[in-house]
Amino acid sequence: MGKKLELALGILNGTIGDYLAETRNGLATPMALVVGGAPVALERTALERAYPRAGSRVVVLAHGLMCTESVWDIPGGGDYGAYLERDFGLTPLYLRFNSGLAIPDNGAELARLLESLLGVWPVAIDEILLLGFSMGGLVVRAACHQACVAGMRWLSLVRRAIYVGTPHLGAPYERVGRVLSKLASAVPDPFARLAAQIGDLRSDGIKDLGDADLRHEDRARRRIGSLRDPEHPVPLLPGIQHYIIAGALSTDPRLAMVFGDALVPMPSGTNGLRTEPGTIALPPRHVKVFAGTAHMTLAHDPHVYEQIREWCDGWSPASPEPGRDLEEEEDG
Amino acid sequence: MDATRWRGLVALVRDAVEHGSRAVEKVQLETAGRPFGILEQIPAVAEPTRVVHVIYDATVSGVHGVVRAVTRAVGTTVDVALRVAEHTSNDHDREA
Repeated sequence: MGKKLELALGILNGTIGDYLAETRNGLATPMALVVGGAPVALERTALERAYPRAGSRVVVLAHGLMCTESVWDIPGGGDYGAYLERDFGLTPLYLRFNSGLAIPDNGAELARLLESLLGVWPVAIDEILLLGFSMGGLVVRAACHQACVAGMRWLSLVRRAIYVGTPHLGAPYERVGRVLSKLASAVPDPFARLAAQIGDLRSDGIKDLGDADLRHEDRARRRIGSLRDPEHPVPLLPGIQHYIIAGALSTDPRLAMVFGDALVPMPSGTNGLRTEPGTIALPPRHVKVFAGTAHMTLAHDPHVYEQIREWCDGWSPASPEPGRDLEEEEDG
Repeated sequence: MDATRWRGLVALVRDAVEHGSRAVEKVQLETAGRPFGILEQIPAVAEPTRVVHVIYDATVSGVHGVVRAVTRAVGTTVDVALRVAEHTSNDHDREA
């Protein structure tokens, strides 16, 4: 019951979470680290109790739109966080947040949470791995951007970020919905306007997915009528190694390019690598496409974890300086 | 589910009925306003049409007003009941 209730609230938050937060409704989900389905206070004693095996290397798992941390659960047991702990000693920190809030707001909240965590984590943290699924990947990027601007300490501990099914260049379904809503509101008919009003009730988080807006200034200049992938104004931070996992429903390359994993088209899921390889400063081996895999499956697929494990295999606790081997790979 | 969430659910249902009722009321008034508007241009039936139009609008607004008022009243009652239940539960916890 608990998981189902939290999932139902996750869906509700993803749909109208901005309204819930604005009206201070008790159903709004505050951002928190969760253990066993319960949020953990950001205090040393609470963290010591919740994480008896707290290590100096942590992985932060950020779920997607209308999800909770249960999205990571692999059928048959385990999840990417538990496997990373088993295989590499990384302490998994499952994030739960109101996915209906604007992505920049969730990014700012995550940035603050991680900055606070440095001071209260039971041991000194010396590495943070970021793992974001779908919208969670954009929240991670927004957090990194805001931490960079604000000069937060935790960012220097992030050497790698893994994005799973993240719409780096936006989600076309939201942009189509935006246009339909605009058209309906322009029709001089009360029923059409009512339909447009209902459509506009969708949360800021959903609206931000359209153009993958990471900053408030990007949201402000959102183009109502645009149906094409916009240029992403916030590049991937150069000091971090980025790894991308995308899904494709079809094994046919042309169909896969258009439909992607059913929700995120291939160019968006790979941050443009599949369409403009020359312009992306990301080594091809940092991008993996899983053919025949739907969007939601990417969050809990043993094959996807195998790829994550393969990438992690080359890492060691005494890892290279941020960005160093990326530059080496690019030179090579 | 804890009391905060129950209260949130009550508030959400109240908001949904409030906003939904206002939106539907607006649609009903606008939709009916079109044929009434046409009939009101015809001198032979203009006057009785205006009377029917006023009655119709008053009825629609009245019904929606009652729906909203009842929802607010029920919401407030449930809210009070939740606070009482929460207070009683806290008292029991303290005694234990």
